[in-house]
Amino acid sequence: MLRKEQNDLLAETGPGTPMGRMFRSYWIPALLSDELPDNDCPPVRVKLLSERLIAFRDTNGRYGLVDEFCAHRGVSLWFGRNEECGLRCSYHGWKYDITGQCIDVPSEPEASRFATKIKLRSYPLIERGGILWTYMGPSEARPPLPEWEFVTVPSSQSFASKRFQESNWLQALEGGIDSSHVSWLHRGDLDSDPLFKGARGNQYNLSDARPVFEVVESAGGLYIGARRNAEGGNYYWRITQWVMPSFTMIAPRGSHSVHGHFWIPIDDENCWTWSYDYHPLRDLTQAEVAAMRDGKGIHVRYVPGTFRPFANKDNDYLIDRAGQKAGRTFSGVEGIAMQDASLQESMGPIVDRTKENLVSTDNGIIMARHRLLRAVKALTDHGAVPPGVDPVHQKVRSAALVLPPDVPFTEGGREALIARPAVAPASV
Amino acid sequence: MASESARMSSAAEARFRVQAPNALPRVLKVIALDAAGQAIIERLGGAGWQHATFFTATAPDRLRDLTGRSRSVRDEVDAADLVVLVAGPGGHAHAAAAIGEACSRRRVMTTGFVIGAMSAPERDVSRTLAQLRPWSLMVVIAGNDDYIDDMMTALRA
Repeated sequence: MLRKEQNDLLAETGPGTPMGRMFRSYWIPALLSDELPDNDCPPVRVKLLSERLIAFRDTNGRYGLVDEFCAHRGVSLWFGRNEECGLRCSYHGWKYDITGQCIDVPSEPEASRFATKIKLRSYPLIERGGILWTYMGPSEARPPLPEWEFVTVPSSQSFASKRFQESNWLQALEGGIDSSHVSWLHRGDLDSDPLFKGARGNQYNLSDARPVFEVVESAGGLYIGARRNAEGGNYYWRITQWVMPSFTMIAPRGSHSVHGHFWIPIDDENCWTWSYDYHPLRDLTQAEVAAMRDGKGIHVRYVPGTFRPFANKDNDYLIDRAGQKAGRTFSGVEGIAMQDASLQESMGPIVDRTKENLVSTDNGIIMARHRLLRAVKALTDHGAVPPGVDPVHQKVRSAALVLPPDVPFTEGGREALIARPAVAPASV
Repeated sequence: MASESARMSSAAEARFRVQAPNALPRVLKVIALDAAGQAIIERLGGAGWQHATFFTATAPDRLRDLTGRSRSVRDEVDAADLVVLVAGPGGHAHAAAAIGEACSRRRVMTTGFVIGAMSAPERDVSRTLAQLRPWSLMVVIAGNDDYIDDMMTALRA
């Protein structure tokens, strides 16, 4: 349960809001690099943290992310012409470079300096790991570039997708750290999904639907450990990483790729769910990439030409009641991603947390809120840099381990929980 | 016409959610297992919780409440929906077994709460974990002791 003012504080991320200020402390994923594939390609509308922006790639291959609307008459620059190192408004020809600086106002005399007085708000946009990242905070506080392991490995070892989710970012994130739902909602997928099946660890999951949880604070966020009994009195641990504000990495299964998410607010009622898969040591196989493109694992199939999931609220998520009754799926919805999204969207655009009844196994969620509230307060009161900005906090891994019963998983998994080049992930 | 899911998940439809209470109050018993835990419950005890009471374990089957009165573990566990066991590092949480066993018999949920762990040697944390783990269905290791306040608020204590 949260009080209404706490709920509002965490949910609202527009300009001038405390949580919006916190999100503006980080590099956040804005677009897939493929969305701006060529120099002078069509611009792309981007809405992030309740700000409408336009992204483009200029003649020299430089990326820009600027206010969507022309400073002249408020026309959308989505209709603009991307040419000769700038985006030119289709209405009267005003032209902007990647910094948002107006560089041409054709109606003014040729030697006029009027254009120098016009500048749209802009944010840096950089490419890293097949993703275009932006930083929307003050330039003097710009942090080092993102160092998440999946963006530092060769592109052949990594795959990323994004999907439009029609809910506030926080209820989506909370689904990602709510380990106790996995044994129920996703129980049918461990044995059938090509990106999960076959791992020895799956048997521990399937034979014990009531794991014991341990939540431990980390420098950047939380470790969320789910413990099940293994052979010889040992424990099988699945350790998920949450790094502030909205990065998660799910414990791996066998030799499969490692995966996780970012949840990035579009506005207060919608968010992007970013999903990545990577392997620190090897290329992803053609079969794996094909499965990811086909919506397996944590990815989805799309409505063609969009990032909207093919199963969405407008078609009742293609719910299959016969499949639910027969036990093929637990909720009747196909696929892990949409099993999660369908339920999170059903809560409404911003869930009313004053009505919820959390239980002890929800401590991961309670602790995440606690840490977010604490970090927002420290940022607001003292300008403290929030956890997760430091690249050290980003060089983490999830892990699946079998450990003796008296060993803290943070001790037994000390090395496994850190990203180390050329070292295999700890997986069972 | 929009699908049922599209219509019913809109902000407009949220206005029609039933406003009646959807749960009865739950009873929390917060039990300090050592001196570190006792400092926490003494601080918490003055905060006016409506559905939580606070104790220190004094013997395997006995507790002491904040007024100094002796209570039986069995009686308190019988009345509980959730028992929170609070201990610091060092392995002084000996009472965890007896209380945990009582909770297990009565099918009462248990949460083990390790305080001050971030600044303690791992061996000491490990000792306490070894005492709490067998009897805790949820274990929390928090950097700040004020987390327990937020946890109790979240659980409507």
